[in-house]
Amino acid sequence: MVGTETIGFAGLGVNAWLIWMIPFIGAALIPALKNKSERVKSYIAVGFSFLSAFFALSILPIGLAGNEIHSQIPWFSALNLNAGVLADPLGIIMSNLVAWISASIFVYSISYMHGERSLTRYWFFMLFFIGSMQLIVLSDNLLMVFFGWEGVGLASFALIGFWYTDRKKDYVGREGHVVWGIPMWASPTHSGIKAFLFNRVGDIMMLSGMFMIFAYAGTFGFKELLSDQSWAQEMMQQNLLVPAAVLLFGGAIGKSAQFPLNEWLLEAMTGPTSVSALIHAATMVKAGVFLVARIGPLFFALAVFNVSLFFEVVAWVGAITAFLLATQALVNQEIKKVLAYSTGSQIGYMMMALGIAGLSTNFVDGYTAGFFHMISHALFKASLFMAAGAILHTVGSRFMYDMGGLRKNMKKTYIFMLLASLSLAGAPLITSGFWSKDAIFASLLESSYSLSPYLFTIAVVIAVMTAFYTFRMVGLVFFGKPSKNMANMESKGQRIHEVSKMMWIPFAILAISSIAIGFVGFAFEAQIHGLFAHYLSNTFGISERGEGDDGGFLGLNPIAAISSVGAFGVGGYLGYLFYIQRKADPEKIRENVVSRAMWQFLHNRWYLNSLLYWIGVVIPLAFYRLTYKYFEGIFINGINPALQYSMVFMSKVVKVTQTGNIQTYLYVFSAGIIVIAMLLLM
Amino acid sequence: MVDIFSTPSLVTIVLGTVALLIPVIDALNKEKSSKNKVYSGIAFGSLVLALVIVIARIVSGETLPALSLSSDGVITDDVFGGFFSIAFLIVSIMVTVSSWSYMKNKSNHAAYYSLILLSSIGMILIGYSTDFVMLLVSWELMSIPTYALAAFSKKDPISNESAVKYFLFGALSTSIIILAMGIVYGLTGTTNIYDSIVALSELKTELIPFGLLAVGLFVAGFGFKMGLVPFHMWLPDTYSGAPTTVGTLLAAGTKKAGFAAAIRVIVIGLIALNVQWAFVLAIIAIFTMTIGNLGALTQRSVPRILAYSSVAQAGYILIGLAVAPFAAQGIDASLFHVMNHAVMKSGAFIAAAAVIVVISGYTLDKYKGLGYRMPITAIVMTISLLALAGIPPLNGFWSKLLLFGSAIDSGQLIWWGPYLAIAGILNSALSLGYYALIIRKMYLDEGENRVRQKEPKSLVAVLIFALGFMVIFGIWYGPILDFASMASPGDLTQLVPVR
Repeated sequence: MVGTETIGFAGLGVNAWLIWMIPFIGAALIPALKNKSERVKSYIAVGFSFLSAFFALSILPIGLAGNEIHSQIPWFSALNLNAGVLADPLGIIMSNLVAWISASIFVYSISYMHGERSLTRYWFFMLFFIGSMQLIVLSDNLLMVFFGWEGVGLASFALIGFWYTDRKKDYVGREGHVVWGIPMWASPTHSGIKAFLFNRVGDIMMLSGMFMIFAYAGTFGFKELLSDQSWAQEMMQQNLLVPAAVLLFGGAIGKSAQFPLNEWLLEAMTGPTSVSALIHAATMVKAGVFLVARIGPLFFALAVFNVSLFFEVVAWVGAITAFLLATQALVNQEIKKVLAYSTGSQIGYMMMALGIAGLSTNFVDGYTAGFFHMISHALFKASLFMAAGAILHTVGSRFMYDMGGLRKNMKKTYIFMLLASLSLAGAPLITSGFWSKDAIFASLLESSYSLSPYLFTIAVVIAVMTAFYTFRMVGLVFFGKPSKNMANMESKGQRIHEVSKMMWIPFAILAISSIAIGFVGFAFEAQIHGLFAHYLSNTFGISERGEGDDGGFLGLNPIAAISSVGAFGVGGYLGYLFYIQRKADPEKIRENVVSRAMWQFLHNRWYLNSLLYWIGVVIPLAFYRLTYKYFEGIFINGINPALQYSMVFMSKVVKVTQTGNIQTYLYVFSAGIIVIAMLLLM
Repeated sequence: MVDIFSTPSLVTIVLGTVALLIPVIDALNKEKSSKNKVYSGIAFGSLVLALVIVIARIVSGETLPALSLSSDGVITDDVFGGFFSIAFLIVSIMVTVSSWSYMKNKSNHAAYYSLILLSSIGMILIGYSTDFVMLLVSWELMSIPTYALAAFSKKDPISNESAVKYFLFGALSTSIIILAMGIVYGLTGTTNIYDSIVALSELKTELIPFGLLAVGLFVAGFGFKMGLVPFHMWLPDTYSGAPTTVGTLLAAGTKKAGFAAAIRVIVIGLIALNVQWAFVLAIIAIFTMTIGNLGALTQRSVPRILAYSSVAQAGYILIGLAVAPFAAQGIDASLFHVMNHAVMKSGAFIAAAAVIVVISGYTLDKYKGLGYRMPITAIVMTISLLALAGIPPLNGFWSKLLLFGSAIDSGQLIWWGPYLAIAGILNSALSLGYYALIIRKMYLDEGENRVRQKEPKSLVAVLIFALGFMVIFGIWYGPILDFASMASPGDLTQLVPVR
């Protein structure tokens, strides 16, 4: 055992190890239950997720007390690499968030996936996912983080393409929508591969960043990187420190669907909704944010080497993504895709906050704001997705114009989705979304970064749009008249009904906890603020330099609060007007040339998807065909047989000498002795 | 003097008692019915007990560290011997357990298990010997039972042929070893290995050629067991002709005993005489790898492919010995590969044995569609072959990495070091040519049918063990490597006087 600072069971942090090991054990067990009934499989999988969650809970007090578990064992001794868990306040809170949200989504899945085929595959990858995600959260070094990183990528790929038979109803996008020759609708298998490839781009960047740091530091460990900073000195002299950090951030861009690798997240909605809720809203896409939160303080602690460029990149990528995706959410017609756009956009907020943290004197403010927003977003977005899943389950269509007026038929879904939506829109004072967004606004305002006023403006504009598209979604789904599709269903005798308890209770819990945190929002924020201030100053030596709280109403920064409330008011009112009251007809914008062009632009996703396809698929494929024809076909195929036949010929020679006669063998044997003796005596 | 409580004596007592007991029980047994399971169980129990003794002695730290040289007694009790003992015992256990199924319908079970145990004692004692006479006696104790074992299928002419070839060459090599020992005794006046090495390092210049001649003869004598080119020619015939479980014992067990003896005698002895000898071993290594792989490339019988592959593997292990004086990790790497190869090769051979038992076929054609017919056997065969080829993250990858790495390290002192690594890497690529072919036959080609066959339980148990070993110690290779470096003598030049 190398680690010395260990708390937890047996002083080795066994419970921290078990958090990520148990889901893997469960995943290994699931295939053995292949022939058992659906019930057995589901309940065992859920049991494993709860077991892991209880272990996560067991270390929560350690985290809240500001302590940490760090336990290491030697791994690749030749390279001096250790395997270890590092459960510090950041890791512990994240770990609990992941564990409990996944547990509730697992419960939801029992009912949502009821009657599906290949549930073995489903549960295997779900458990595999939790294990990998917890590995990311709890690893004490970049290498193990990377293993987890690839694990969640694999699970995400497999679950996006879960319905691999590509039935039309599992597609995303409107069929026939073609932009620049690129189809904008996608099958599950296509989407899975797309997600995988987009992540590959980020992962390769991350890997190169990791190894650049390893080349100088000789270690992947977070603790080790911090304790001996001579590697940063050396990298700075070669001007490699900021590139390495930005490359690491590249991994986060891929995983968290940030600009320019944002396109995969939208197609990822082909997966079952439980998957979208768990992987593509609450946890995996947060891995990028988590990574930045992991390495951010480290780079900030290296502030002597001036790494502010890294934080600028983080902040601006976040801002651009948040804006880009929020605008597209305004016009989309699929409920899950609206939520997906919104997820990317909200993660942009978090990135912005973490980036601005590194550009301010008060690192803790932005850091806490980003992390707080991650918590509140995970809660309300998981809840929204599960509610959306409930609606899809009932209505049987992913398009919002196939819904409408559902508030009467699905009262519980309506109430809880509305609560979660209010949190997303940032309804003042009572929702967690308001408090976390406000914290981000405040940290943007208080930053000393010269461009932060622009960032702030963008953030407020996005908040307006967020409130608008949230109300638009709620209005389209729950208000107005029932759509044609629903009328059809009713006439066929299918009753539009509320979903089962097992489905609505999980999202109700998350929606309520989102509001509950909102009620104590200020205290909650102060709590994690204090925790992180303590943690950052203890571990990284980053102390608060400001004068502390400015003591306004509930600690709110007045400008931030006013703009936040204003944004909610403006966006919310417009949404209310158009889609709930239906006083104005949103279709009108199609009549004006300018507004129609804008709509087209947004609807075609800023042409970004098509551009990426041209650069990443169409042109390389053309190149591939050329090389295949001329290089592979003529050159390589010319060489291959030569190699093959020469080896086979030599093999035949060896075979011929193996006569089977003892005389030959003896002859060779004695000749061998003579040759060896001669060589030795030479 | 030999302490009764030292590891070799304890193990000898345990295994020896059981080895003698089994035929006695058989003689007393009036019933004609076969007692295969009983004997297999007893032999298995005694081997496990021996393994426990060896491990307990090492863990408790009562053994001497690393490879200890002393002029006291004929046997030592050091970690080096313990390392080889563990490798031998693992192989013997795998062979014994798989024989449970393999020997089911054959006769003379008592003799079979008794011979395996006796041969195991011989192998283990070789690892611990510090005296030429003791070494010779152990060598014969190891070899003679295996001659009989190779001929165990009495009515099968191929088995008989293989045993005759094996016996003739065994006798020849033993006589060569005795000749070499005689020369060393004549030069130094002692049969103790350490004393004679010290004496060799002080040899008069004009007598050095005789010393080198003796070492050359040792290379030939031990090289016969190791399967080095050009002393390998009996090997493919015997490994593939003998009953497959016996082939396993030969390929994975006795072959390693050759390496144990070679490290004790040749490597250390040569350093005292003349460091240039390493080049000769390097040449032998390259020939052994290349001819082994080329020979395997166009074979049609899987046991024969495995036999040739084990020739090639001996070449890889020899790389570590050749660069030992120039690279700190040379011997470590060899020991590491010895342990890994013992399990990989046993896994592959026993998978082949399972195929013979279940569908009585050994040619490549019979392996078509095996993935459906015998899924467990097929997957273990696949993993074993990939491990043998050195595919990460299986255990064979790491030991090969260390072997080639030490060869590259030695490049700082000798020009030919890196070429050994290059030859090794090219050979590994070449070896995939036939390893992948077997895998392709099993999974991609359509066989006679897709009916799942019943795989014998004991074989499956051994295969699963091998699979676990290869995968677990592939991902987490630390313990084996640490053990290998613990057993390795480390810097040889510190150990004995260098001329």
